[in-house]
Amino acid sequence: MLFPTSGFLLFFLVVAAAMMLLETRFEAKKAVLVLASYYFYAQWDWRFCFLLAFSSALSYGAGRLIGATADQGRRRLVLGIAITLHLGLLGVFKYLDFFVLSANRLAALLGLSHELPFFEVLLPVGISFFTFHGISYITDVYRGDVAVCRNPLDMALYMSFFPQLVAGPIVRAAYFLPQLARPSKEPIPIAPALILILGGLFKKVVIANYLATGLVDPVFAAPTSYGAPDLLLAVYGYAVQIYCDFSAYSDMAIALAALLGFRFPANFNQPYRAERLREFWQRWHISLSTWLRDYLYKPLGGNRHGRLKTYRNLMLTMLLGGIWHGAGWKFVAWGALHGGGLALERLVEPWLGRHSQTKAARVIATFILFHFVCLAWIFFRAEDFAVARLYIAGFGSGWTDGLQQAGPFMVALILIGMVGQFTPPALFERAAAALGRMPSWGLGATAGIVVAAINALGPEGVAPFIYFRF
Amino acid sequence: MVAIEREHAPATTAASADAIPLRLRRGSGSPRQVFALTLIGAIVLALFASRDLTSWLNRFDDGPIIAPLQHVATEWDDAMATLGLVAPHEGLRLAIHRLLDWQWSDRR
Repeated sequence: MLFPTSGFLLFFLVVAAAMMLLETRFEAKKAVLVLASYYFYAQWDWRFCFLLAFSSALSYGAGRLIGATADQGRRRLVLGIAITLHLGLLGVFKYLDFFVLSANRLAALLGLSHELPFFEVLLPVGISFFTFHGISYITDVYRGDVAVCRNPLDMALYMSFFPQLVAGPIVRAAYFLPQLARPSKEPIPIAPALILILGGLFKKVVIANYLATGLVDPVFAAPTSYGAPDLLLAVYGYAVQIYCDFSAYSDMAIALAALLGFRFPANFNQPYRAERLREFWQRWHISLSTWLRDYLYKPLGGNRHGRLKTYRNLMLTMLLGGIWHGAGWKFVAWGALHGGGLALERLVEPWLGRHSQTKAARVIATFILFHFVCLAWIFFRAEDFAVARLYIAGFGSGWTDGLQQAGPFMVALILIGMVGQFTPPALFERAAAALGRMPSWGLGATAGIVVAAINALGPEGVAPFIYFRF
Repeated sequence: MVAIEREHAPATTAASADAIPLRLRRGSGSPRQVFALTLIGAIVLALFASRDLTSWLNRFDDGPIIAPLQHVATEWDDAMATLGLVAPHEGLRLAIHRLLDWQWSDRR
């Protein structure tokens, strides 16, 4: 069940009715949200629900066991077992066939004829996200950063809450569980939530979908059939498409949670305006980058043990971040580029500084960084490593070829997407303030008209969000 | 020996900043208003997007209720067409198709 569908609208209408009827009964409200979340998840495949329930029970049990003893050795043992089980599940469902493929290739290189069979395990949607939720909870309990969750309903809701279940943002237990302890007294921020939903719909349905079907997919499917200008515009198109696709999902998730009375953290903050790669990661998929920083980079030692180990830790973190996105060497290459880039940036930081000193230097730094990020996106988007190589080789010639695929409308969509990166945040606040003065019926009617317009502008059908497969 | 369950205070600082800052939360929304605007939004959407209702129904699994709903959706769309409410939808579709067909060589 995708957010921009009539099925989801009906589903949300029923959930909103339940929240209205149960306004003063907080425990019942949470129980309904858990049921709704499992129903939402079952729309992909009902069998996935057992996996989600197991992951939730594992996190709950491990948290209770860690909290039940002061013995540091025992706490560490429980933490280790629980994390191994979480990662084991992720490994089986997401990476098993990748390991088999890699082992078979290695065997072929060594001249061995025997091949291991593929398991063809169905990838449960959102498994990476709820696994990271579980790991973050038990690690935070172990570290003493979050209270032990005693209410199984709270844990079930933390792990399954439908706005973030399949594509994030990754919401930390320390951030979300306190919101389940008692009903929020804050008013629901309806106007900002509506703007996030409508803006998200436009980004996904119009910008991301048309860029995908009209430019990115055809060019990446046969890069050797296009000249360098098309290749360049298609990679710009993908940069805008993946931003609009993923940030749209995050915006809608944040807004839906807000309409149900919960707060979510920001996940994107105009990433392509960053001047440094480090800054890019403070603006792109913030919930993942902070997760990797707190649960991987820092435990590896962070920057506490000298330059070389800092570079190693950056590289390892980004390599694993790459593999988190998918089982494939192209994701390893994407992670290696970002890890190497971050390490290189650290190396030259004493000369370049953390921020550019002049406006011209800022523009140049942003321009260079955007193209570096685009280079990495080629590996991320290409079918495999070989196609990525062909794609990059295509830039070596054909600069005089005309544009075949990138028509004026595609270029306009890229420009709209890029302009969005540089608009002042105050615009959002002004729009929210203006909408906030309208009555509920006016807001509903306006939203209905805008959604109808976006629907009319968008292509037939709804393409799944890119991050669902991660 | 009964183990003593350790309770830890929640972290005082959240891992990340709220996506909707506090200053934008000063409105006075309630679950009742959320339901009302969702319902009104759905009705307005049904008025102005009636051309797509049948294709939306096609996405649901086949069931005994879908066929009669398809019939209702078709009649609803005919009624909206009579009222002229499908004109914005068709105008926008036409405009977007023109934009998609637009080529660098066109002189418009």
